[in-house]
Amino acid sequence: MNIEQYIIDIKDKFPDITNVEVINTKRLMVYIPQSLLPKITDYWFNELQYRYVIVTAMDSKDGYELIYHYSDDSSGWIMSLNVLLPHDTPEVESMTSIVYGIEWIEREIMDILGIKFLNHPKPERFLLPESWPEGDYPYRRKIRKEDR
Amino acid sequence: MGIKDLSFKKSLWVFHLSAGSCNNCDIEILDLLTPRYDVERFGMKLVGSIRHADVLLVTGIITKKTKARVLEVYEQAPKPIIVIAIGACPCTGGIFASGYNFAGPLDKVIPVDAYIPGCPPKPEAMLAGVMKLLAPPPPEQANANK
Amino acid sequence: MGKKTIVPIGPYHPLLEEPEFFKLYCDGETVVDMEWETGYNHRGIEKICESKTFEQVFFVVERICGICSTSHPFAYANAVESIGGVQIPVRAKLIRSIVGELERIHSHLLWVGLAGHFLGYNTVFMWAWKYREPVLDMFEIITGNRNNYAMFTIGGVRRDIDETKATELLKVLDDVKKKTDLLVGAVMDDPVIHARLKGVGTLTAKDIHDFGAVGPTARASGVDIDVRRDDPYAAYDMVNWKVITTPEGDVFAKAKVRLLEMYESISIIKQCLTLLQKETPGDIKAKVKEIPEGIGIGHAEAPRGEVFHFVKSDGGNSPVRHKIRAPSYNCITTFRRSCIGGTISDAAIATAAVDPCYCCTERMVQVYDYHSGKHMMNAAELIKFSQQKTEELRKKL
Repeated sequence: MNIEQYIIDIKDKFPDITNVEVINTKRLMVYIPQSLLPKITDYWFNELQYRYVIVTAMDSKDGYELIYHYSDDSSGWIMSLNVLLPHDTPEVESMTSIVYGIEWIEREIMDILGIKFLNHPKPERFLLPESWPEGDYPYRRKIRKEDR
Repeated sequence: MGIKDLSFKKSLWVFHLSAGSCNNCDIEILDLLTPRYDVERFGMKLVGSIRHADVLLVTGIITKKTKARVLEVYEQAPKPIIVIAIGACPCTGGIFASGYNFAGPLDKVIPVDAYIPGCPPKPEAMLAGVMKLLAPPPPEQANANK
Repeated sequence: MGKKTIVPIGPYHPLLEEPEFFKLYCDGETVVDMEWETGYNHRGIEKICESKTFEQVFFVVERICGICSTSHPFAYANAVESIGGVQIPVRAKLIRSIVGELERIHSHLLWVGLAGHFLGYNTVFMWAWKYREPVLDMFEIITGNRNNYAMFTIGGVRRDIDETKATELLKVLDDVKKKTDLLVGAVMDDPVIHARLKGVGTLTAKDIHDFGAVGPTARASGVDIDVRRDDPYAAYDMVNWKVITTPEGDVFAKAKVRLLEMYESISIIKQCLTLLQKETPGDIKAKVKEIPEGIGIGHAEAPRGEVFHFVKSDGGNSPVRHKIRAPSYNCITTFRRSCIGGTISDAAIATAAVDPCYCCTERMVQVYDYHSGKHMMNAAELIKFSQQKTEELRKKL
């Protein structure tokens, strides 16, 4: 797979992409604005038939990072979509209408980071115990929050 | 011989409860049933319901979600019952003790009769633990108890 | 549609090894919907990893699941080593592959046993677990423990395989191969198993793609993926082997894929041992000073499918974020397609077919066999009836 050509092609196809970066051998990270997420997910999952792997959610300095991992098994590349959500309004469209298997991980991220997935078919508690207090999210960085 | 000693004399029926384990201890317990160790020759067997059991084996850390269920299972158990904590996790919390979903070692939840540490304990260690628990106490200790 | 019956199962139930709770909505014998509640096994491992150093994380990820205690360190090592750009010695690569494949053999034997147990075929259960013991002994000789091997470290492995261990391992492998032949015979030629497993819990290639299922589950539906070949790591590009696929997609196909994969694993280990004996004894670990800032994504093929680890480092001595995806996380969801519409009794084996590892997933689902037969028979009649049925099936084949 010619990765230089691939990067040029995907930038042509989606001009809104902010940055494309090869982070490691056979690992590509595509930084996109939130609005582009459904379109590029559809393109990768349905048209290019990339395999859905998982979503990583992370509390970083500038906001909540959601990293959607897909795998191109014909070449062994792992393609990741990086979406940055602001700390104040952590909301994003649910991808369940495109990728069926994504339902569980979105519920898990709701639990651990408090990110709201719009139009999720079953936005209920998934991992944490019933006694866990509402509004307490174990993976949010608490120290940073107080500093702000 | 009291009723308790009589009831644990032979043919122990065992109920296995996994509170939040990594599967290793559970597999080693199942391993005890298979041909190499074959605990059924001592009359021990795994039963499907706590209501039939003499011994409750607990593996894994007690998570906040399983804590209430562990208590409930213990309450349903016919008394007297022997509770054995298998593996490092129910004994102390082991490597997971710093987790946010950890609700304390097993002896903070229900009374425990024996601890079999190890990660996971070998099947021989489990057998040895149960045997030590059931062996008659040494004479001096038996006298002290009188 | 008739009245729906809800069959609640769990969280503690005789059929289940681990705690979880689920509801089965049934119309008569047919499963119309399933719901599950999870989190009983949630230990917060990803958070614990963030408080350990890079070296210590190996011991935590190894305890995600007792059966995959090589696969998780494997994927984690791939991720961390890719951040640091660490080149590991050839000897370490070979040893890693040997331990990984031994684990595959032990895990598949375990699954064959459990699947037999779910079907009520306890002979296979006892056989498979008996023949698994020599493999575990081998682990004890090579790594020092029957489970949780603590074999991996950043830049290599912690223990070497010397000549004595290698000869012992070759002997065990020959033995395991014979026993595998026996198990393949017991499963593949048994008319009852054919009748019980064929056409049950079928998954199409589209289902696999929709849920992102991996490993033997995917390969049994004709989806030709295997991380060991697609993105080679350790010594998998130094040996000859093939990916087993079959297009049927039912439970029988999954059993077939797993059984045949064991032969491939045996062959990989043998080739690795030959290469290892050619290598001069030497370094098994590269020196690694520190892990620089960056993102590492590593994956490895576990017995159940792809294990995926995402590690972010800020240049300090512990990961900032460590995301773990176990194969069962994606495979378990497929039972929405494989169980719904089938009978309740098929649901148990259809779920078991993906080899769900509940502690990996930190959540689990299993199905209880619900019996509602009105027709009563005594034991002798039942035996006669089953003998007749076996005979009929045998004629059909």
